[in-house]
Amino acid sequence: MKRWGSILLVLLVTLGVHAASQSGAQTIMDTQLNAAPYSDASNIVPVPASTNVTILSRQGGWYHVRLDSGQDGWLRMTSLRMNSSSSGSSWGMGWLSQLFGSGRSGATGTTATTGVRGLNTGDIAKARPDPQAVDSLNAWIATPGQARQFAQELHLKAQQIPYLPDIKVQQP
Amino acid sequence: MNRRDVMKRLMRPLLLAGLLAFCGLTPVSAGIDWNNVFNTLKTVKQAVKPADLHEEEQIGYATAATLLGAAKPIDNADVQRYVNRVGLWVALQSERPDLPWHFAVVASDDIDAFAAPGGYVFITRGLLLHMRSEAELAGVLGHEITHVVMKDHLKALQRAAKQQLLGQALNYELQQHGKNTEVFNKIANATRTLYSRGLDKADEFQADRMGVVLATRAGYDPYGLMAVLQTLESIDPKSGRMQLLLATHPTPAARIVLLAAAMQAGHMDQYGNQVEGRERFLQVVKKLVPASGTQPAH
Repeated sequence: MKRWGSILLVLLVTLGVHAASQSGAQTIMDTQLNAAPYSDASNIVPVPASTNVTILSRQGGWYHVRLDSGQDGWLRMTSLRMNSSSSGSSWGMGWLSQLFGSGRSGATGTTATTGVRGLNTGDIAKARPDPQAVDSLNAWIATPGQARQFAQELHLKAQQIPYLPDIKVQQP
Repeated sequence: MNRRDVMKRLMRPLLLAGLLAFCGLTPVSAGIDWNNVFNTLKTVKQAVKPADLHEEEQIGYATAATLLGAAKPIDNADVQRYVNRVGLWVALQSERPDLPWHFAVVASDDIDAFAAPGGYVFITRGLLLHMRSEAELAGVLGHEITHVVMKDHLKALQRAAKQQLLGQALNYELQQHGKNTEVFNKIANATRTLYSRGLDKADEFQADRMGVVLATRAGYDPYGLMAVLQTLESIDPKSGRMQLLLATHPTPAARIVLLAAAMQAGHMDQYGNQVEGRERFLQVVKKLVPASGTQPAH
């Protein structure tokens, strides 16, 4: 077991590093590299559409990116599209999923048996109801008091915010 | 509830309906007190309200049982409790905080999330592992919570089940037969159809807009859902990991464009510095990986 653990550790780190090098994205419009994640921050340099960038992190509606020139700055989230891959954009935590997409089996602490478990329209169409599984959920539910304390731990403060308007725009 | 109470509950609206019918037949000269009629109608509405909630819970139970028949809850109490705490905290910011909310991670590596009437919300392990922060999780749960709040699935299931029951009172049937009956099976059938076809696109766009607000009301960074949608956009559709999600939802690209416009109009930028919650999310979700204690490369 110990040996498998260390092999997995190596695999995990390798995949992680691999993924970090691929956390690329492309601008989908002409835009500006900003010095800070605010619309009134100073512009560093214009960035034309279809420019490749590396994503470093995100803050609110902005990505911290590095250009091929080595310059870094902030771009609006919606001015970028992540580079596609079989398991999706991999900056941040997304790389974890690659481990599960690699056909590795068992030991996930799940009731799943081996390999990748799918869930497609066919699985839904022939699902046999499992009432016991619904009853089992009661073991994990939270009380409102627990939820509030949990929110406090992260300094999450509840506030009143109105719902957003339905803005009609051209859909891609 | 004993049988007499059930009878009483069923009889009350009938008696009131009779009373209203009687009023309707009274000659105009007798003078109808419209105020009184209005109040009576209000009473009828209140009388059926608990029964409505009962029906929703029963339908939700059968729906949840069917969905969990396709993908079982994962057996990891830490992760399940975590998702329930995030989920309930977000649901408490909604218009239906008092529902018996149940959240669960289900054992599938495909990417999807589901809501069922009465307060059930499920997310696949595959989707959870594609996220980077609690704010992203809160955004997705907010989307699903909205479907419950707006009764999107409930209305569709009620329509389908009532058609099949050919006019029999659905709630009465549910009360009489409980869980393992023809009615349960009919709801399961309706669930299979609805959840493999999906809701109206407008319901999904609305759930994006409202879900973002619920997560932001809860104190999270508003752009969590947007970040998840960008992740979904980057996953190769040919990988098959999103077959069900893409068959039942508008494209991620369309959702991003509409959500971005709504968030801009709602000035959500002002909440951009709210909590992202990367560390707590990572601490819990890494428990799904066997070699725990490893730090991600980023």
